Amino acid sequence: MKKMKKKKLTFLTVPAALLAASALLLAGSTAGSARAALTYFSEDYSAQVSISRIGVSLEENGEAISSRDYTEDNTWAETQGVLFSDLFGEEGVQLGRPYDDTITVRNSGDIDTFVRVTVTRSWLDGNGNKDTSLDPDLICLGFLEGNGWVLDEGASTKERTVLYYTNALAADESTAPLLDEGALTIDSSVGSKVVQETEETDEGTLVRTSYAYDGYQFYVGIEADAVQARNAQDAIKSAWGVDVQVSEDGSTISLQ
Amino acid sequence: MKKKSFHKKTLGMAAAALALTAAVSAGSALAYFTTYTQAAGGAALQLGFAQTIPLEEVDNWTKHVTVQNTGEVPCMVRARAFTGSALEGQLTYSGDNWSPAGDGYYYYSQVLQPGETTPDVLDIQIDNTGMEEDFNVIVVQECAPVVYDGNNQPTGDWDNAVGTQEAQGEEAGEG
Repeated sequence: MKKMKKKKLTFLTVPAALLAASALLLAGSTAGSARAALTYFSEDYSAQVSISRIGVSLEENGEAISSRDYTEDNTWAETQGVLFSDLFGEEGVQLGRPYDDTITVRNSGDIDTFVRVTVTRSWLDGNGNKDTSLDPDLICLGFLEGNGWVLDEGASTKERTVLYYTNALAADESTAPLLDEGALTIDSSVGSKVVQETEETDEGTLVRTSYAYDGYQFYVGIEADAVQARNAQDAIKSAWGVDVQVSEDGSTISLQ
Repeated sequence: MKKKSFHKKTLGMAAAALALTAAVSAGSALAYFTTYTQAAGGAALQLGFAQTIPLEEVDNWTKHVTVQNTGEVPCMVRARAFTGSALEGQLTYSGDNWSPAGDGYYYYSQVLQPGETTPDVLDIQIDNTGMEEDFNVIVVQECAPVVYDGNNQPTGDWDNAVGTQEAQGEEAGEG
């Protein structure tokens, strides 16, 4: 009888201990969140909140045209501009002419970050709809590599180019230029691509010739992504789904 | 039987609690700081056809040729004169911003805007010494869309030259 009692006690102790451990862990994690929430909202800890602000700005010729920064008010401050707005002047786009446009990405937050860009190229018809039958390669963009930017060939296609900046950006620091001098060119062969339509009339066959690209708009979109430099390997894997190697001092990454 | 049910129940509760704990912990692990921004831009292409007409005046055995852009887009122009074999080598070309390129044509170095006429005249002087028969001097001009070379200098896309038109004049040689 005594033996039976002892056995029963042991049997109850195991799940009870498991439950207690779980409850402790749960309470611990909840307490952690509560502490974070307290830090987050408390005026006493406002200095700590401010060092956790992340931000990124896309710059054209040294001017921020688009940005998304976390503010001290716990909101996102966003701006969005237009690329190439002052590039072509009244004469419009000239075929084959190389245009200079300096694109950089700036860390406009307070914590160190790693950044990448995704550049898309396409042709839009007169109604603003994408026409995939026209060749994005005729929108020539000369990307610079070897200055910190690295092409992710696996993620890039004819229409999309993905580049990573391998150096961590400190607060207010900008990347090296993304594009080479005179890097934006609309290939002159655009002007030699014509389409012909024939129509039978009373006076004979009427042939209408028009430029295939006439009235079309070339479109370039750039998205800049930023992620915290701390725990970069896990953060980049989590945010971007990409495996990277981080240097020992955490200042650079390399694609795997 | 009762004992077994209790065992299953407690173990289930423990497992649920652990799973909840794990889920809460995983949630913390995913909270990385990220942000993004984007911008886009472009411009529409206006690819109207280039068209030019030659304008010609003749005096003192010299043809004074200019070219007018009557098309919708800027273009580059070139011109030359054709003659019979009797006059071969007896034409002299001159004019600011007009220069030969070895193919018989003289190329105007400036971009000709729509509606514009070449401000510089191409003079073609005819040496008719010894000519007794009538002869023709035909001026041919062509235009081409403007493209830019690697040095960002405008040039003509002469593979797509269009609008060949002729200015024809019949001259009589001096006896």
